Parts: sequence; C-alpha cells; structure tokens
Amino acid sequence: MVYFINDIITGALIGLLYSLVAMGFVVIYRASKVFNFAQGELVIIGGFIVWFTTMQAGLSLWLSIPLSLVLAGLVGYAIERIFLTKLIGESVFSMVMVTVGLLILLRGLVLLVFGPAVRPFPIIFPLKPLFLGDMLIPMNLLIGGIITIVAAVGLSWFFNRTRSGLRMTAVAEDHVVASSMGISVKGSIAVAWVLGAILSTIGAMIFLSGKSLTFLASDIGFAALPVALFAGLESIGGLILAGIIIGIAQSLTTNYLDPLIGGSLGSVVPYIIMLAILLIRPTGLFGWRTIERV
Amino acid sequence: MALLLLAPYLVSSRIIAILNMMMISAVIAVGLQICTGYAGQINLGQAAFMGVGAYTASILASKTGLTFLLTIPLAGLSAALFGFLFGLTAARIKGFYLALTTIAAQFLFHFAVLNLPSTWLGGSNGITVPPAELFGLRFVSESSQFYLNFAVTAIMVAGAFGIVRSRFGRAFVAVRDDDVAAGIMGINVAATKANAFLIGAFYAGVGGALWAYLIRFVGVDQFTLFHSIFFVAMIIVGGMGSIVGALIGVFIIRIIQEIIATVGPNIADSVSFLGGDIVFAGMNVVLGGVIALFMILEPKGLMHRWNILKSSYRIWPFPY
Repeated sequence: MVYFINDIITGALIGLLYSLVAMGFVVIYRASKVFNFAQGELVIIGGFIVWFTTMQAGLSLWLSIPLSLVLAGLVGYAIERIFLTKLIGESVFSMVMVTVGLLILLRGLVLLVFGPAVRPFPIIFPLKPLFLGDMLIPMNLLIGGIITIVAAVGLSWFFNRTRSGLRMTAVAEDHVVASSMGISVKGSIAVAWVLGAILSTIGAMIFLSGKSLTFLASDIGFAALPVALFAGLESIGGLILAGIIIGIAQSLTTNYLDPLIGGSLGSVVPYIIMLAILLIRPTGLFGWRTIERV
Repeated sequence: MALLLLAPYLVSSRIIAILNMMMISAVIAVGLQICTGYAGQINLGQAAFMGVGAYTASILASKTGLTFLLTIPLAGLSAALFGFLFGLTAARIKGFYLALTTIAAQFLFHFAVLNLPSTWLGGSNGITVPPAELFGLRFVSESSQFYLNFAVTAIMVAGAFGIVRSRFGRAFVAVRDDDVAAGIMGINVAATKANAFLIGAFYAGVGGALWAYLIRFVGVDQFTLFHSIFFVAMIIVGGMGSIVGALIGVFIIRIIQEIIATVGPNIADSVSFLGGDIVFAGMNVVLGGVIALFMILEPKGLMHRWNILKSSYRIWPFPY
C-alpha cells in the first residue's frame, strides 16, 4: 500500500514536470496561435545554456540561473524574430511546418555545436530524496512541482486578469482582428517566445538536475505534448490537473501493468490518452471550444 | 525516359544506388503529395506508414516466401489500412491537431515494433529480408534492383497523375481549398479525407516494401519522425499540389543528402568530436533551414517559380 501511494505521488510529480514543459507549448499558443513543435529543443537549448554557465564558465548557481534564464529568453526572442515574425497572417500549415523545420534545425545545431557527448549537469536541487515514513520522494521533482504550480497560477492570472495578458489572448483568437484593434501582434508573439524559452529552461533544470545531459533529453518535449492537448491548448491552470492525471496513469502502468505484459506500455500511455481525447473531445478538458469539426 | 532505362549501362553503380533511393523516395513523396499537397491533410507520419509497408513486405517475404509481385501490393494495402485508421481521425479534427495524431501514429508504430514479442516483428533486432525473385531471376545487384524500382515507381507515378485528375483528385482539391464549400457541393468530406490518407499511406507502404527489398533489412530506426519530416521537406521544396513538384523535391533533397553524406566524413575528420553524427546533424540543419526558408520566402515551392517563369516566357514581351 505504501509503495502504491508512493508510485502515485512520484507519478503526479513527474506529471507536474510534464505540465511545466507543456506550459511552454500553451504559453506560446496562448499568445500567438502558433503551436511550437520545437518545444523539446528549447528545453535542451536551455539545458545547454545552464550547463555552459555553470560547468563551463564556472559561475555560482545564484549567478548562473538568472543569467541562464535571460540568455534563454534571448534565444527565444531571436528564434521568434528570425522565423515567426515573417509568418504573421500565414496559414496554419506554414506555422506548423516552420516549427517542425525548427525542430530538426535546432536539433541539428545543438548536435553540431555541442556534439553527441554525455555531459554532467549541475546539481541544482538537492539529490537527497525526501523520506516520508516509508515513502521516498525525489527532491528535484518535489521542488519542481511547487515551481510548476506557482508558475501556473501566476501565468493563469496574467493571461486571464491583466490587461496585457488579455491583449495576448486576443492575438491567439485572431491575428488580423487583434492587430486591427490596435494590439501589437509582433510584440505579443515575441513575449510568448521569450516566456516559452524561459519556462523550457526551468523545465530543463528540474528535469536534468544532477543527471547527465545529451541532446536526446529533448524527448521530454514529445512526452509533454499529450499533457498540453489533454488540458486543452488554451488552459494554463488545466495543465496541472492534466499533468497529474497523465503522470499517475503512466506511473501506475509502468509499475503494475508492464511487469504483467512484459513491455513498456507506460511510455505510450500518454499518447493513448492523447488520441482518445483528440477523438472524444478535441478541445481538451479546459480548452476553448473553437476547433472546427467537419 | 529511355535514357533512364539504359542508366545501369551508362553510369557508375554509385549513381545507380542514388537513383534507387530517389525512386523509392519518389513513390513515398508522391503519396504524401496526394495526402498533404492535394487533399490538404497535414501528415507527419509518412515514415510510419512506410515502415508498416516495409515490415509487412519483409514478414511476408521471409516467413511465407510470397513473391514480390504479391508482397509489394499487400504491403501497400496494410499501410493503407493503418493510414485509413488515422484518416478517420482526420474526419473529426483538422489543422495542426491532425499533425499531432499523425505524430502519435509515429510513436505507436515505434512502440508496437519494439514491444510486441520479437518473434512477430523482430523487436529491436529488425528483420532480414530475402531478395526479390521472379522466374529464377534474383534482384540482388544494384542494377537489377534499379529495374524493379523503376517499374514500380513508373506505375505508381503514372497512377498518381491519374488519381489527381480523377473525381477523387478533384474532390481532394475541393476539400483542401474549402471543406465547407466542398460539403455543400455534395462531396463527402469525411470520406474524402480518409481516402486521402488511404492513398497516401498506400504509396508509403509500396515505397516501404521497395525499401525493404533494396536494403534487405528493416529496423525501426529507419522510420522515425525525422524521416517523416524529410519527406515533408521534399514536397515543400518541390511545391505543394503538384506531382512533378514532388519529384523535383525528391531529386533536390536526395542530392543535398548525398552531398552531405559525401562531404560530411571529410569534415568529421577535422572536427573529430562529432564523429559519425555529423551527417545526421548536418542533414537536420540543412533540411530544417530549407523548410523554414521555403515557408518564409516561397511557400508554394519551386514548381510555382517554374510556372511563373514559363508563363512569362510564353507571353514575352508583354508583362501579362
């Protein structure tokens, strides 16, 4: 029973990590109507920035973490300026394909610049797990979960309550309408990408803290994708619930079903949930009901 | 055309190998062109469909010993069935949500191969494929395979020209341009979308079977999301909504790939820390850059440029 509860808690915390990465998807979508397939690559770029500032440049954590976040924001801004600004008003297909192009472009660049070598990642959160009776909870995931919830509440407030957040929401509704209302579509998309890159970097810190860093870590982007869709692409608060549900489902499948069938069903459970939600309720749990059905 | 038939006698075997790859890619890219370019259904799972075809062909060939005359169409059919399942989701959702389900197809394929019992699909070891054989003639050498690929590719491409001219093809274009209007004109939109996936996946399956007979080995790593994106890059470069465009795109992307594969190892010697990954990395950088550049500068592809050039030549010296 203790192990069962422990599995549920660990699963929920991993789910919250997925939520944080998925928040990158949602923030970019929520402020620019662009679905960013290259989210996993942003995570890995964030990871390399953190690695560079701490391990390579030898800065202390208190200095390197804010610096990394600033640098990541700059990278996000640069990507937006180079690729996305030019596509305002273009079709969905163009937007999707540019981020797909970005996905392989960034992966290639990371490989070219940093190579396939495995690197140690700085220990940002204490390695020692938290013991709760017989239960054992990884510290990085616990702190990460708290950060995720704080970020979700904060961003949710920003997008739903503040004036600039609502402006960005209008951009996500319709580029043309928003710009004719005097809202800067360019500015909104720029803010979105800066935020997305910063969130990805925080995700990278939690995910990789004390582990090793290779370009393959970008797979977390695709692991987080089902969470974003399950919650609905416009809902930031909903990500928490969606992440927890998917994390628990995955953890229970991995721990109890996989030994029975001898496979790794756990790794596809999020995708099965994603397919199901796309078929039953394409807007996700909390998304806006704007998806056109045929 | 006739010159192409004589190619094995005219050029070196290296070029024949490249031509083989090009023809197989052409079959798959033409299928993607019908699905994405004509019917407007974003498909990021073409490599998974190709994989289904390749696995079907190799299992049929290695376990039942069926002739390739049967395994290639059957591979196409099984891939078509797989594609149709995902096409059904296209009947309900559109735009990039669709792209997400096709990505899910990619992951499910990967999972199925790796996690089903390895006696079924070979697991992570892959499957070795016996060579194609007809009347005691074995398609082993590059040049004999050239004829096999050439025959199949010619049939498939000719078929594609037929399909896009037929009522199906016109329905695809109508659905792509405006599905509501198409529905009002009496086109069954859902069925048309599912059909587009069916046909696109059939082409991918046939291409996959050819691939299995060419490489004589299939493994799950040959059919990743990256390969799907490469195929999408081909039709974007060539031009959406044109069969000839798909062929041009295949030609250009494969040439780029060859250049990188040839030049890459030389560069790798000077920057040794990258090792063998430089080809993959270079490929990604170039193709990602190409996709983004074309989407920003020329979303309609090279075929569109060519058409502009052609019409301005025709009406010269008048501007219009």
